[in-house]
Amino acid sequence: MLKKAWLALLAMAVLLPASRAAEVDPALVTAAKKEGQVVWYSTLIVNQIVRPLAAAFEQKYPGIKVLYSRATNSDTALKILNEARARRIQADVFDGTNSIYPLLDAKLVASYHPKAAADYPADLKDPDGHWTAMNLYYMTSAYNTNLVKGADIPKTYQDLLNPKWKGKIVWTNDPTPQGPPGFIYNILSTYGHDQGMEYLHKFAAQQPAFIPASQRVVLDKVISGEYPLAVMTFNHHSAISAGKGAPVQWIKMEPLLQTTSLIGIVQGAPHPNAARLFVEFAISEEGQKVLAEHDYLPADPKVPAKIADLKPQAGHFKVNVVTPQMARDDLPEWTRLYHELFR
Amino acid sequence: MSASGLADRARPASPSRLAVLRRDPRLAIAIVVGTVLVVLMLPPMWMLIQDSLTTTNAIGNVTGWTFAHFRKLVTSRDALISIWNSLVFAAGSTVLSLISGGILAWLVERTNAPLKIFAYLATIISMGTPYILHVIAWLFLLGRVGPVNDLYRQITGGGSDLFNVNSMAGMILIEGFLWSPLVFLLLGATFRASNADMEEAARMSGASIFDTLRRISLPLAMPSILALALFVFIRAIGGFEVPALVGMPGRIYVLTTDVYEATIIVPPDLGYAAAFSIVMVAIVAVLLYYYSRLTRNAEKYHSVTGKGYRPRPFDLGRGRWIAGALILLNFVVVLLLPLLTLLWMSLLPFLRGFSLSALPTLTLANYRTVLHAGGYLSLALNSLSVAAGAATAIMLLTALAGWIAARGGPGGRILDQLATSSLVFPGICLGVAVMEVYLRVPLPIYGSLWIIAIAYVIRYMPYGMRYVYSGVLQLHRELEEAAGVAGAGAMTTLRRIVAPLLTPALVAGWLFIFLIANKELSIAVLLASPGSQVIAVAIFDDWVNGQGGELAAFGLVWTALMTVIACLFFLQMRRGSTDVYGN
Repeated sequence: MLKKAWLALLAMAVLLPASRAAEVDPALVTAAKKEGQVVWYSTLIVNQIVRPLAAAFEQKYPGIKVLYSRATNSDTALKILNEARARRIQADVFDGTNSIYPLLDAKLVASYHPKAAADYPADLKDPDGHWTAMNLYYMTSAYNTNLVKGADIPKTYQDLLNPKWKGKIVWTNDPTPQGPPGFIYNILSTYGHDQGMEYLHKFAAQQPAFIPASQRVVLDKVISGEYPLAVMTFNHHSAISAGKGAPVQWIKMEPLLQTTSLIGIVQGAPHPNAARLFVEFAISEEGQKVLAEHDYLPADPKVPAKIADLKPQAGHFKVNVVTPQMARDDLPEWTRLYHELFR
Repeated sequence: MSASGLADRARPASPSRLAVLRRDPRLAIAIVVGTVLVVLMLPPMWMLIQDSLTTTNAIGNVTGWTFAHFRKLVTSRDALISIWNSLVFAAGSTVLSLISGGILAWLVERTNAPLKIFAYLATIISMGTPYILHVIAWLFLLGRVGPVNDLYRQITGGGSDLFNVNSMAGMILIEGFLWSPLVFLLLGATFRASNADMEEAARMSGASIFDTLRRISLPLAMPSILALALFVFIRAIGGFEVPALVGMPGRIYVLTTDVYEATIIVPPDLGYAAAFSIVMVAIVAVLLYYYSRLTRNAEKYHSVTGKGYRPRPFDLGRGRWIAGALILLNFVVVLLLPLLTLLWMSLLPFLRGFSLSALPTLTLANYRTVLHAGGYLSLALNSLSVAAGAATAIMLLTALAGWIAARGGPGGRILDQLATSSLVFPGICLGVAVMEVYLRVPLPIYGSLWIIAIAYVIRYMPYGMRYVYSGVLQLHRELEEAAGVAGAGAMTTLRRIVAPLLTPALVAGWLFIFLIANKELSIAVLLASPGSQVIAVAIFDDWVNGQGGELAAFGLVWTALMTVIACLFFLQMRRGSTDVYGN
């Protein structure tokens, strides 16, 4: 008995301050614990951030297990759509930059206004409560520091057109704002339509290699030396790898492209309370700090990035922003251009 | 398919005429098994046809009939290119695997070359390795930073590569290596069984080894070789691992990758995927027709007699050391290099080429993650239980169906055709079809392991059928007749006589299905969901997500486990002498 009481006290001591800070409704925690688990369909990289965030959540709410699975944006949407078709929804929470749009069309996103997002700027949360921003991406070029040196390092988009890079540039075939469609938008909005299209035709003539995999894999190909140069990679991925001693460096090729990764709850989720609790945690200051600690770029303006100059203010670089609304409205057109130009 | 040919010959002495079996309880078994087979095997085919001819709304309900999918297929240049690519890819890899596997089989079975153990070792271990692991290792070996291109750059001092792996040549090379162990296994059986009298006669008449080979051995083995060629060709048409990992980055699309892409876009273009699948099924059906004719006629060439000796091996003289070197080279190329590559990848903190400077950075971190991150354990358990469940279900069904078919029992012919009908499906097409069927069935099957198990059962049923069929044919009918005369009913005969004698064939079939179910990616890739993952799909996901080190570490651990099971299979096969075309 005494031992149990001690444990309870200890648990309260650990939990209380944090819970108060995040203002999570104790009823929600109780209900979530009854459900026992939360299933998270993620587009984030498992060993870099999914596991640490899941572990932090499990530590804070013992008894609620996080089951996760990583896939691309389209796969994530497709799996949830299929589950709905089969009337057997398994996902509770999903994230991604554009996985949400097909799900919104199919009315598969639940509305929830997280308390933790109360202080978030208006453009980082949905007025209807369908999504909240979880983290930010800055897309840019990166190079292998053993293979590209000094004056050879490209600094502008025009530098990418140098004949010496023909067939040496690599990128993903991911049809999202983080892939070729985002690049196309960035170029068109920077140079204007006519000049932009001219640039894109020239860039297509450089025959960049498409990797049918995530931007993480693309960057690994630069690190391993298979390609000296990549475009549309995440700047924080370069930072993470360079921290482990990998020969890679991202380039401030202005403007960089900013996109937003969102988190939302599936309509009809089998563990709705655990889903809410998980969303609260992911966007709380505490959750955002876990992201920052693992070199991801938190959406919460209060939480600084671990490597400050990965973000535009501290890093002094210009960005072009793709808002969630823009991604929803214009992605089909960018994707059409991508197929027209590059396939 | 060859099984039905054999059924014809088994018919004349149909036991249904025997008085003992007049009240034939096998009819009841045939009806039950037949119903199960109909429910399993026919809906996927129907669903493909329906999908290819209908339009659907966002939720997947049929809204009308259309030929648009087929129109798009014949008018699109991309589609025609894919079909052409598929044919080139399959033909090239067939030829390559026949040459490399065939030479090896001949050396091992018919000559006195040394170091034969290495040929078996390579075959056994690659039986247990998921194809996708081989492919990933080869991609690295032949890739830009792999030792091949690296060495070339150092020799030439230039910046250009010898070989671009993401090309048709790269695809053919890797697929060819994938199939060469199987060719070795099956052609080895042919060479082992062939009569040496004619070869001996040729040698006595003064023919050289080469002449004997060209004019006696090869023509004798030709039907088997052709049948095997068709078989490998069919499998390569349906191959997915190599086209996806090697072909897609080089923007070389084949039928399977087109089907896959049409299925994973949002919203999925299932009509187009189904139309593509129908094209593939049609190609495979035509090839299978020729395959069954070939294997039927092949028996004419069989020079196996009751003589109880193994043919005398050719004496290669001093050439035997060259032969030994070839066997060793094959071992190094097909097995050792890929495994070492995986080991290298698993020990690196981030992927890089072979180099001494990387040695100090080697770490066991990936192995620690694999052993501690719980996901991998449940993944392994999932895979093992699905494969074991499917193998068990298949062997139970085919033990009954195969026995009835081989003995010309009631409805035997229909059972045989039902059970082998899924041979026409390339894995990825079956995946699409099964997904569509069970998305509509109001049972909680989609998104669970059941759907993968069902797809495996459909896919591998023909192999189970063959093991049982040839197993039953080896049992003389008189044993069953004696049981009948002694007053046993059909059920008692089945239980007390047939089942025990058939056990070796059943065990061999079970192990074989268990092994290949864990090897193949294409069926499960569209069916696995996050809560119900299997090995090959998880490895594919890991690769796509950039967790190369972890997947290499996990892949090696898994391969070690599967090698043990592959050894069991080989022991069983040697004992039961059931060499059956499969995989």
